[in-house]
Amino acid sequence: MTGGNGGPLVSVRGVHRRFGSGATAVHALRDVTFDLAPGTMTALVGRSGSGKTTLLNVIGGLDRPDSGTVLVDGTDVTSLDEDGLSLLRREKVSYVFQTFGLIPVLSAAENVGAPLRLARVPAAERERRVALLLELVGLADHAEQVPGELSGGQQQRVAIARALAASPRLLIADEPTGQLDAETGLSVMALLRGVVESEGVTALVSTHDPTMLALADRVIRINDGHLDQDPGQRSDGQVDQPSGTRSHGRLDSDGRGDS
Amino acid sequence: MLRLVARRARAQWPLLAALLAVAVVGPTLLGICALLLTRTAEQALETAASRTTSDQIDVTAYTVTVRGEDARSVADDTRAVLTSALAPFATTTAARASSVMRSFPDAGAPAVAYLSGVEDLPARTQLAEGRLPRAGAVPAESVVLESTARRLGLKAGSRVRLGRELTDDPDEGIEVRVTGIVRALPGTGWERDPLAATGHDPAYRDGRSAQPVHAYGPFIVDLADLLGGGSVLDRLEITAHPDLSAPDVRDLDTVTQAVLGADRRLGRTLGDRVRIQRVASLLPSTLLAGHEQQRVTTAAVLAVAAIGLVLTATALALAGRLSAGVRGDETVLLSALGVGRGQLAGAALIEAGVLAVLATAVAIPASSALHAGLTQLPPMDGAGLATPFAVNAAQVLSVAGGALALAAVLVVPSLRTPAAGVRGRRELLARSGADLLLVALAAVGWWQLRDQPAGSGSPIDAVRVLAPALLLIAGSAVTLRLVWPALRGVERLAVRARGFMVPLAAFEAARRPQAVAAGLLIGLGCAAATYGIGFDATWQRSQQDQADLAVGTDLALTLTAPPAAGQGGRVGAAVGGEVSPATDRGVAVGQWLGGAGDPPRLIAMDTTRAEALLRGRLNDGRTWNDVGAALAPPERAAGVPVPAGAALSLVGKATGGTPLTVTPRLLLQDVTGLRTPCTGAPIPLDGKAHRLPDCATAEGLRLVAVSLPFAIATGNVGTGYSNFLDELPAGDSRVAVTLTVAGTGTGTGTETGAGTGTEAGAETDAGTGAGRGSAEPSWTATSAGPSPGQLGRPAVALTGTSAGTALKMTTTVALKGPPDAARTLVATAFPAPGPVPVAVSARFAAEAGARRGSQLDLTVGLARVQVGVAEVLPAVPSAPNAAAVLADFDVLSRALAVSGDFDVPVDAWWVGRPVRADVADLRLGGVTTRASETARLTGGPLRAGLPAVLRLLVPAAVLLMLAGIVLHVTFDLRARAVEVARLRGLGMTRREIRTVLLGQHVGILLPLLAAGAVVGALATRLVAPLLVRADTGAAPVPEVLPVWPWAAEAVLLVGLLAGCALAVSAVVVVQARRADAAYLRVAS
Repeated sequence: MTGGNGGPLVSVRGVHRRFGSGATAVHALRDVTFDLAPGTMTALVGRSGSGKTTLLNVIGGLDRPDSGTVLVDGTDVTSLDEDGLSLLRREKVSYVFQTFGLIPVLSAAENVGAPLRLARVPAAERERRVALLLELVGLADHAEQVPGELSGGQQQRVAIARALAASPRLLIADEPTGQLDAETGLSVMALLRGVVESEGVTALVSTHDPTMLALADRVIRINDGHLDQDPGQRSDGQVDQPSGTRSHGRLDSDGRGDS
Repeated sequence: MLRLVARRARAQWPLLAALLAVAVVGPTLLGICALLLTRTAEQALETAASRTTSDQIDVTAYTVTVRGEDARSVADDTRAVLTSALAPFATTTAARASSVMRSFPDAGAPAVAYLSGVEDLPARTQLAEGRLPRAGAVPAESVVLESTARRLGLKAGSRVRLGRELTDDPDEGIEVRVTGIVRALPGTGWERDPLAATGHDPAYRDGRSAQPVHAYGPFIVDLADLLGGGSVLDRLEITAHPDLSAPDVRDLDTVTQAVLGADRRLGRTLGDRVRIQRVASLLPSTLLAGHEQQRVTTAAVLAVAAIGLVLTATALALAGRLSAGVRGDETVLLSALGVGRGQLAGAALIEAGVLAVLATAVAIPASSALHAGLTQLPPMDGAGLATPFAVNAAQVLSVAGGALALAAVLVVPSLRTPAAGVRGRRELLARSGADLLLVALAAVGWWQLRDQPAGSGSPIDAVRVLAPALLLIAGSAVTLRLVWPALRGVERLAVRARGFMVPLAAFEAARRPQAVAAGLLIGLGCAAATYGIGFDATWQRSQQDQADLAVGTDLALTLTAPPAAGQGGRVGAAVGGEVSPATDRGVAVGQWLGGAGDPPRLIAMDTTRAEALLRGRLNDGRTWNDVGAALAPPERAAGVPVPAGAALSLVGKATGGTPLTVTPRLLLQDVTGLRTPCTGAPIPLDGKAHRLPDCATAEGLRLVAVSLPFAIATGNVGTGYSNFLDELPAGDSRVAVTLTVAGTGTGTGTETGAGTGTEAGAETDAGTGAGRGSAEPSWTATSAGPSPGQLGRPAVALTGTSAGTALKMTTTVALKGPPDAARTLVATAFPAPGPVPVAVSARFAAEAGARRGSQLDLTVGLARVQVGVAEVLPAVPSAPNAAAVLADFDVLSRALAVSGDFDVPVDAWWVGRPVRADVADLRLGGVTTRASETARLTGGPLRAGLPAVLRLLVPAAVLLMLAGIVLHVTFDLRARAVEVARLRGLGMTRREIRTVLLGQHVGILLPLLAAGAVVGALATRLVAPLLVRADTGAAPVPEVLPVWPWAAEAVLLVGLLAGCALAVSAVVVVQARRADAAYLRVAS
């Protein structure tokens, strides 16, 4: 699977993002550059405040960089207006949030179907796909339950199913296991790994949990807004060579990120 | 803890400002109501008192039969009693006195005359000749009325000798010198003159003689001369007029009690110097009625205040709940840090206390300013209630008390700790119980209102004050329960939609845990606003209906003296429209005299023009024409035309040796239908023609009846006061009397009889048959009661000759029996009407046990009139609260005339569809119009507070509702900011998010507003009619019809919807703009 032009699905070049100004300004991202190959699962690691979420938001179009460019499937995210960004998120980029991001008044099935409704998918097709996705995440029996009636892990599974509903090219997951216990978190990551493989989606997952890194094709480390990229490791033993020249992700020798 | 509160206040000042804004509204409303109930109420009473007319506040003392030597002291003591009773108000007094009758030997016929003294004579008379009398002159100086002067041939300088007083201890007579001739000005009290200022009565009866005598007077002398001259006073009246131009309400109360006790005090003061004394005044009832009106207004103002408080409390409960929600995390944190519930409660109390103090500080000047502004607007400014900015103790106490009570409402939610499960279920249970309790209380309130006494004087009770608020809040709570199922229905429909925005909005609206307080506030606010408009319209309509029925016609001119023939023409010329004489007086029904001070009333007018003349709502689709048709005579009486100035003469003959006299009375009808008697002097039946002067006084008169009371000439004609006969007469005397109206006869006539015999057939006199809707002339003769057997074979014949129209009446007079027995022949231009058809009021029917077809005897004056009930009406025009009878004036006067009573009672002129109302210049009496009565009822000083406060309720409700909506939406969107941001994460544009949020909130607002409108409409229908009271405090008549002013309500609802949508839009737009990635950075 490749990007729109056969290259990387995501291409980040020289991205800067600063919050505030003057002496109190916080440089969340500093000259971040890297690519993501299609159909891969990349882990983004770093300490709290290192800029992970900012980077994810910039890539997903929820935030705009002060400088630099971000190409997602050939689309320059930084040049899009509000409607364009919304279209991007609706068609190409999906999110999975640490707090699951489910709409509390909707059932699991309705949450999963939300992107399909936004895409005005016919009801029959929508229902079929929702059933498939819930089956995929193992929640077929919980379709009518609202988020408040589900466990954290189940909610995150619903969130993943919803993220996959519109068949996005890029799935951004911001600390998807942050509120889950280790076992549940692992199962969620395994699910993400599975859907990357089964759906061919490209996943960029930020995480604190080093145990999750093993499931990633590649690990990118961010520190104080700088990308410190390590060749990482893939399940097949190959290492993705990052295109960035100054920010390189790196994994510890035991495969543990230092976030 | 204080530091925590202070720091939190600094950090959350917008929240606290919002709470303060909401908390200020209720106390402000309370402050305005307090000012209305204290300062404005006092001012209203004082203004109403200062606007009263003299007849409403004058206090008159009547004394009867005062010995000459006591006259001056009685007058002085009476003045002192009245002045003392009216203290501390400055009082002016005016006295009028009349002597007993004296013989008047210089008149040339049996006659009497009397002296009068009148204070302020220049204001009560117009000098036609000479000058007014001076005090202390010898002989006493006097002025006389023009008619007296004309009949006695008096002029300035004439000397008149009045004979001895007709008393048990007569004096030697008195001589007066006439210094001038005057005209009595109408409306200046002359109706209480012994001869009602006619100057002459050719057939005066005072019970001292079997035969009437001439009476002349008054010979008006200076009052001091009369009081000090030794004449026995027949009557002395002193009227005290208090100056109420700047009254104080406490002084008014003092005076009310003093005047009520003045009668007893006068009796004690005068002792046996007078035979009868009485103090009469409408002042106490006027002032007590003012208090009653104020009580009605007070109840309504308190009811509005209660609604305002409930609304504010609901808004504050919502605000408190929302702020508690916002501070939930903080509360949990503080609890976790070891802060106890007591400390949290203390902080909440401190904060609420500070808010209460601030709200009080803001609400006091705000309420004063708004109250001052309110009084500058109609109807209060028109009522003279405009007041400057002012603060009083009651207002401060109300505001502070209200603010503290409302602060308590604010505290309760903040004391709750977030929990779920059992307490949630307990809350639901409590809420259901509260709903049921509210419904039960509302039902009790409605029941109590429905069963409240119909009469006046009921005190202000909590039920009447709280019932509207209870009904509104119960209705809102119940309908709130129906809103959510309705939204669920919408949700089921929305789920089928293909897109996301509509279903999401519907899901959010239907599934999100709803803020009951917000829903209740919106529904209640809308209900209160719509109810305020509906109640106002209902109240206004009822006042108009009451005014219509109370006046009974478009313009009523209540006469102070019996009208003269032709007066209707002057009234018609002044105002235009349809003019009818009207009767409005108390009657007896058989032995039934009605309740205490509340006799059955007889209303009579020209029912052939009922639609043009009568006003007031009828039920069952009937019109006044329908009612009038059932009461009107079959045809108009034709009568004999009597041109103005026509000579009328009467000649009579009697057989037998007993000399007989007759004192003819003619009943003349003018163009307006007014029937007035013209009485001649006693005429001997000597075969000579005798003139009947002063009868043809106006154009368009028609002679419709003649009364001939025959009397045996007892030989006392020289003195007029001896009834002794040397020998009692016996046998019969055949008499024939012919009345000739000169210049009207052109042909032959008819002769008919009644009673015991008929003499001849009928012939037609074309000359007397003219007249609108009149039939051919047909005269009927009868012997009037109470001794109809004293006359035999009464008959009447109408003939027209070249000399005029002659009405020949014949009968046989039975001479046996008492000399003063009634022997009266009555000839009428109409047949005896039989029972007079009447329409009775529902109250009359209920109290007298009458129904359609019933026949009753009414005592009108001294005459008994048989009536038949033809209709039962809800109420009779001009007598809305009375047990009343409505009759046709023509038919009533026919019945009276046939019975020999020519004094047809006329108390007013009624005018339908007048084109002008400037009839006051005629000085005939008080003028009332429907418009003026409506204005009095709706805009009078004692009434204006109610519509004003109702108009205050509407903006207050709208304001609170909008504030509540803004608060709710703001807090809701703040709480859901992350969720909104996630929608963006899903790919929704800001526009789509705005649409969803707007759709959601408007989707909730719409049914809530609709539910509120339904509750407002139901309250208007069920409660408003029960709350409207008449100015007397009694249940209004006619029955109140609920009014739902569609246009005004539609404007309000559209405005509410637009306002709500605007408020929601503003918040939604801001929140949607803020809903960016910042809210998604929860994991960073």
